Amino acid sequence: MDPMKAQQLAAELEVEMMADMYNRMTNACHRKCVPPHYKEPELTKGESVCLDRCVAKYLDLHEKLGRKLTELSVQDEEMMRKAAVGSG
Amino acid sequence: MAASTGAASAAASDPTGPASAGLGLDGSTVQYSMILDHLIGDKRPIKDLSPGVMGGLPVPAKSDEQKMIERGMESCAFKSVLACVGGFVLGGAFGVFTAGIDTNVGFDPKDPMRTPTAREVLKDMGQRGMSYAKNFAIVGAMFSCTECIIESHRGKSDWKNAVYSGCVTGGAIGFRAGLKAGVLGCGGFAAFSAAIEYYLR
Repeated sequence: MDPMKAQQLAAELEVEMMADMYNRMTNACHRKCVPPHYKEPELTKGESVCLDRCVAKYLDLHEKLGRKLTELSVQDEEMMRKAAVGSG
Repeated sequence: MAASTGAASAAASDPTGPASAGLGLDGSTVQYSMILDHLIGDKRPIKDLSPGVMGGLPVPAKSDEQKMIERGMESCAFKSVLACVGGFVLGGAFGVFTAGIDTNVGFDPKDPMRTPTAREVLKDMGQRGMSYAKNFAIVGAMFSCTECIIESHRGKSDWKNAVYSGCVTGGAIGFRAGLKAGVLGCGGFAAFSAAIEYYLR
């Protein structure tokens, strides 16, 4: 499979992945940072600081885990290719 | 073809490991690792993450100046300057008011029997108003500054921020007169802040 096809497939999947990640991130950070006391409509300083930190951590985690997952996937494929070559 | 069936059978015979090769729609093998590289790995495209792209409500992008202005207005320095100015005005008003109901205003120690002139009384009122104003301004700025710093550090906004910053402010004011006065100032101001927070929330 050539990289062009992989890129096209990735571009198709990306929109869905981004939407899912955004939804999960919004839910998680809202649950952690914004307590259900709605006395005023604007975010207080503490809440906005907490949200900044939550989003930064979430995206950092996403990137690190993504890199680790692709690494493991590559290793796994190498192993299976060797097994296929060995058996075929 | 033999390689793909070999890979497929290898994947089928090893169900515990993640299957990183599968059959695509057109029959060719799909290499997940390459797709993952383009999706979440190092070769992913750089996108500007606006909520409209990702599935939220599309919001018009803020200009850089607007972001700077908003960040400035939310900053601790601006809030403490605001509290300083507010404290100055309030202290001035309070000082002039208490001078108005004080019988000792304009008192001349050299001649206690003489009623003071209007100019002397006004000057005394102004001095007292100014001294109250400066005190209130300093206390207000300190309280607001410490509260903002504590709130930024904790990342929460509840009543405890006011209590902690009240203790710090009262302690700092009272500390100049000794340790015991500092502790008393801390406790007193913290209790006062707690009462105000209880009333406001």
